[in-house]
Amino acid sequence: MSLLEVKNLRVTFATETGPVEAVRGVSFSLGRERLGIVGESGSGKTMTGRSVLRLIRPPGRIEADAMSFDGVDLMAASEREMRALRGNRIGMVMQDPKYSLNPVMNVGEQLTEGLRRRDRIGRTEARAKAIAALEAVQIRDPERVMAAYPHELSGGMGQRVMIAMMLIPEPDLLIADEPTSALDVTVQAEVLAILDGLVRDRGMGLIFISHDLRLVGRFCDRILVMYKGKVVEELEAKNLAQAQHPYTQGLLNCLPRIGGARGPLPGLDRSGDWAKEGA
Amino acid sequence: MMTTATASGTALIEIKDLTVTYRSKGREVRAVEGVSLQVAARQSYGLVGESGSGKSTILRAICDLAPVTGGSIRIAGEALEDPRGTDFSRQVQMVFQDPYASLHPRHTIDRTLSEPLAIHGIKGSDQKVMQALQDVGLPTSFRFRYPHQLSGGQRQRVAIARALMLEPKILLLDEPTSALDASVQAEVLNLLNRLREERGLTFLMVSHDLAVIDHMCDRVLVMQHGRAVEELSRDDLAEAKMTTAYARSLFEASADRMLA
Amino acid sequence: MSSLRLWLTDPNPASRRQARLGQGYLAWLRIRRNKLAMTGLVIVGLLLLMAAFAPLLAPHDPLAQDLSRRLLPPGTPGNLLGTDDFGRDILSRIIFGSRITLYIIALVAVTAPLLGLLIGTISGYFGGWIDALLMRITDIFLAFPRLILALALVAVMGPGVENAVLAIALTAWPPYARIARAETLTVRNSDYIAAVRLQGAGAPRIIWGHIVPMCLPSVIIRVTLDMAGVILIAAGLGFLGLGVQPPLPEWGQMISSGRKFLFEQWWVATMPGLAILIVSLGFNLLGDGLRDVLDPRSTGK
Repeated sequence: MSLLEVKNLRVTFATETGPVEAVRGVSFSLGRERLGIVGESGSGKTMTGRSVLRLIRPPGRIEADAMSFDGVDLMAASEREMRALRGNRIGMVMQDPKYSLNPVMNVGEQLTEGLRRRDRIGRTEARAKAIAALEAVQIRDPERVMAAYPHELSGGMGQRVMIAMMLIPEPDLLIADEPTSALDVTVQAEVLAILDGLVRDRGMGLIFISHDLRLVGRFCDRILVMYKGKVVEELEAKNLAQAQHPYTQGLLNCLPRIGGARGPLPGLDRSGDWAKEGA
Repeated sequence: MMTTATASGTALIEIKDLTVTYRSKGREVRAVEGVSLQVAARQSYGLVGESGSGKSTILRAICDLAPVTGGSIRIAGEALEDPRGTDFSRQVQMVFQDPYASLHPRHTIDRTLSEPLAIHGIKGSDQKVMQALQDVGLPTSFRFRYPHQLSGGQRQRVAIARALMLEPKILLLDEPTSALDASVQAEVLNLLNRLREERGLTFLMVSHDLAVIDHMCDRVLVMQHGRAVEELSRDDLAEAKMTTAYARSLFEASADRMLA
Repeated sequence: MSSLRLWLTDPNPASRRQARLGQGYLAWLRIRRNKLAMTGLVIVGLLLLMAAFAPLLAPHDPLAQDLSRRLLPPGTPGNLLGTDDFGRDILSRIIFGSRITLYIIALVAVTAPLLGLLIGTISGYFGGWIDALLMRITDIFLAFPRLILALALVAVMGPGVENAVLAIALTAWPPYARIARAETLTVRNSDYIAAVRLQGAGAPRIIWGHIVPMCLPSVIIRVTLDMAGVILIAAGLGFLGLGVQPPLPEWGQMISSGRKFLFEQWWVATMPGLAILIVSLGFNLLGDGLRDVLDPRSTGK
């Protein structure tokens, strides 16, 4: 049985100029694998990820024919039940650790807070768990990082702390929204390797949301390509080069390449039927 | 090849032993340390490195937006005056990284584009603004829109148009496409290349993306921790002929950006 | 009507004026959804109308005394809100008094924020010793309680409407300077300011054309919120006999003269008090609503 099942998900925002649909009928299922959701800004990829945790604030509204996580109906679950799921069984990592970590608490306090309050674990044991989590994301001197405040960490370090924090409750599903976009390429590779290890060793499901098609193609098992709130193509990552949909092909071709031709880069042709409003 | 052409003293931009030091609360941070480079006229020169490597600081130092504490910067053979005079603005302009932060949120596109003309007392602003919009591929009906009514790519086109209003010879590009979607990045890069061709511009471009630098630039300077690591020609880059370990590691981390 | 709306919401305005009016229309749409702000706007609007049409609305001459009809209670035929100790109609005096209140508000609203904006933006933009000097001056003004400082100034300059306005303006600018400086500090290192500096613009142009527009919304909000305080200080000065001089109908001074009969003839002091209360409330509600509409942090997308 699959871990997460989403059928015909819709996210609508009521605005002054009428309702705006951010996600328009997205369906997918996820096992214990790495699923990539790719799209440009405004494609609805972030909204799709947030909908799974029902983290859409009014005036946004979530609708779906079915959305279930490991047998739990996410559409029918009460807010209380959702809170129990969030963080515990489904973790989420956002793009910029600067905005996701509390600036006035040190890392150690933030890592152990949930353990001590929710799981009623003693101080020393919580601390040991937190240090183990930091070691799991390959932080070499966890003691120093535990005492540091978020602004004292570099981008890559902050992102690792975020991932460690999400991993402490050992979730079954991790939703990572552009987890490496703010990082340098060399750091990016390390963070990806950590995520990869977690999926393999712990059998966790991963939804990897990104704008970078090449990155997702290299890192994930399966890819959903989104455009204007719809999934335009779903394919195995290894078949990315043979993508059929003109949008996916366009996204691949418009990127410059080292050693490539110097002429104008091919633009993305949006004249096809798929790009039309309401298509 | 072009790689040796710059050493002959005809460089349009000539930076020698540039050092930039930020001071705050008694602490000194060297953002750039002893960097030298030369860019010939009509050349496109890239600065590449990871965050904190000081690549953007060099552009800011040229514009007097960062505290230079050592070395010299010469444009067309002449040392820059402090503060930069009006001649400087007509020679050098800059396009910033984030198009959401580089346009005044309460000024219309028209105001943004006509401001440089007003500052320099240049007449015929109506016609020049319309022409500038057309040059960067924006419909003239956008003239009285506000920035929040434009997409990221459209904003960056406005920022490029603004930089070109004073018809400078040198354009400093600070990660001009890193905040944009891939398809929009392609359009903006094509636009920049076309404008360089048409107007004989000289580019000094900063990026963390080797593929973008490779596509845009004739020569590249790899930077790390404020220092220059290695200078490469475009061919050296494509054929992976780097000599330093750092440049190589950067190159290898960009493996998915290579021509398949 | 609908063609006007289309013209206002046109995404591609054909002129500067259309673009600006279009933005104004959007702001109007936003404020219209806020019920409390609309209440405030209606109150302020009514005050404006009352002041404009005072001679038509007032049943009597506000200065006409009739000692045979002194201290009549509210509801007396011909004197809806009663009469004061000189037999003057209180309703007429309140209606004409709105003109003086508005006059004071308008003068203060123009002078104090302008002074504050200039000092704050200059201080924030240049930094260094200019900032230190200007901010210490601001601190000195802030260190005195406003009413006491205004009292001292009026005592030196002599009583009267103009001097009261001047005293209020001189005590009201420091908060605006503080706000403007704080906004300037967040704006001055932004890329769009760097861009205009790079184009060779001088400090006056950058401050006036690029920084002031960014500070304006928060200052406007603060002005509307402060208006209630200005009315109260003007009333306070009037009450102490240092503001508007009798027999001119000024609300604070009316309360002052009604104080003598507060227990027997409560309406003489209460009616102008209610007027002050309602108008202050109106400006406060409007300011709260404007905060939601104008604050650059809450708008954007």
